[in-house]
Amino acid sequence: MISLKNIVKTYDGKTVLHDISVDFPSGKTTVILGPSGSGKSTLLRSIDLLVRPESGSISFEDFNYDYSQPISSKESFKLRRKTSMVFQNWNLFPNLTVLRNITEAPINVLKLSKDEAESKARDLLDRVGLADLEERYPSQLSGGQQQRISICRALAMNPEYILLDEPTSALDPELETQVLRILEELAKAGQSMIIVTHNMDFARLVSDKIVFIEDGEKVFDNDTKEFFEHPTSRIKDFLSGISIDPDAADNKE
Amino acid sequence: MWHIIITSLPEMLVAMVQYTIPLAIIAFIFGLILAVITALIKFIEPSGNKLVKYPYMVIRAIFSFYVWLFRSTPLLVQLFIIFFGLPNIGVQLDPFIAAVIGFSLNTGAYASETIRSALLSVPQDQWDAAYTLGFSTPQTLMKIVLPQAVRIALPPLSNSFIGLFKDTSLASSITILEMFQVSQQITAKNFQPLLMYSLAAFLYAIICTLLSWLQHYLERRTSQYVKGSEA
Ligand SMILES: Nc1ncnc2c1ncn2[C@@H]1O[C@H](COP(=O)(O)OP(=O)(O)OP(=O)(O)O)[C@@H](O)[C@H]1O
Ligand SMILES: [Mg+2]
Repeated sequence: MISLKNIVKTYDGKTVLHDISVDFPSGKTTVILGPSGSGKSTLLRSIDLLVRPESGSISFEDFNYDYSQPISSKESFKLRRKTSMVFQNWNLFPNLTVLRNITEAPINVLKLSKDEAESKARDLLDRVGLADLEERYPSQLSGGQQQRISICRALAMNPEYILLDEPTSALDPELETQVLRILEELAKAGQSMIIVTHNMDFARLVSDKIVFIEDGEKVFDNDTKEFFEHPTSRIKDFLSGISIDPDAADNKE
Repeated sequence: MWHIIITSLPEMLVAMVQYTIPLAIIAFIFGLILAVITALIKFIEPSGNKLVKYPYMVIRAIFSFYVWLFRSTPLLVQLFIIFFGLPNIGVQLDPFIAAVIGFSLNTGAYASETIRSALLSVPQDQWDAAYTLGFSTPQTLMKIVLPQAVRIALPPLSNSFIGLFKDTSLASSITILEMFQVSQQITAKNFQPLLMYSLAAFLYAIICTLLSWLQHYLERRTSQYVKGSEA
């Protein structure tokens, strides 16, 4: 389990995360929801130290870091070994082929042999249905293909948790579906995931737990079922705000 | 006319092979090494630790001063100071060595700015992606960022090399028998300045044309992955 405690983050004197504490259970899929600018990305990126909160702490089963204290590169490496991020714009390495995008970190960071890393990468590519694209460059692929490859890149590091920041927001609906199916399979296989998304159907069908953030404050933190079946008025407002059907929050059959 | 060309060409080609080309290549290699070091020193932000930070700031200031100095003064003046000026403080250099030092320092100052801006143009996204995969900062720099920066820096660096190749003619002023100097000496004997200097210009142009072909080839090789490239 990952536990964040009392996270405070400010940008230029403006507090964007107000004392947030939240647990992300292992083997489960947690979805972070909230309006634009509410602090979802900031919270997610804090887990991987891409953002450094001013105070608070993060703990796993076997270690605990205080964000207000210096964190050595050895310590941040230990943390990043347990987590891997998938970005909204996938951020593949444009100068490397698909295969090398996936093998570069296992070879350089995990010190796997080239053969070992490549055979593992091919298994992953096979799993996401892109086995025949390994020699291409990212710019020669569609967004949906690139995002599936970036999921492979994250999985190749065997992280305990995969962190996904709006993984399908930059994709057309049919490409989105391809990516969401893969995430659904991962969820079923018991991969621990934390996903920021605006896709309510996905959140409802796949996630175990929902954390709802508004203006940097945690408003909801409970089971997915609870979120959709007994929404508070703030959640109802949010749900109807992102749907063109004004009764969307009530009328899910 | 053909007689003059045929008799002076061998001498000029020898000068080109003996001085002009080696000077350009050696100075460019040293210049590039210096440029990469300078660019990295100006690019990397020191850690918060005071014992590391303050000495680092001093080193960085020295390199910044160097870049400023060589970019704000003419190359010819730099060569004169190194070759004719330094003996006044007891540093007497072989002319070829003085030329290598002058051209290297000058190239290094300009190329460091090229490389630094290429490093800066690699988006933060690439750093984030590498960090999340567990790459350290030096690994990210060497394995992910620098290769992308090289592609961006390649065209301006090729231009620098072509510029350097032509600038080697300035070495004639510090007594080096490079190609232009040889053409001047032949002119002094046959009184054919138009012909001789045009011949020198022609030889420079041939080499520079070959260099720009090489540049295009390298750019194509390193741009394979760029969107829309069919290479
Ligand atoms: N680097 C930064 N510098 C200054 N302010 C920032 C920075 N990054 C984020 N913010 C601010 O912090 C707040 C939270 O941003 P964050 O990106 O976490 O929101 P979000 O919930 O992910 O939004 P979205 O759904 O639009 O992605 C916003 O007000 C944003 O303007
Ligand atoms: Mg965001």
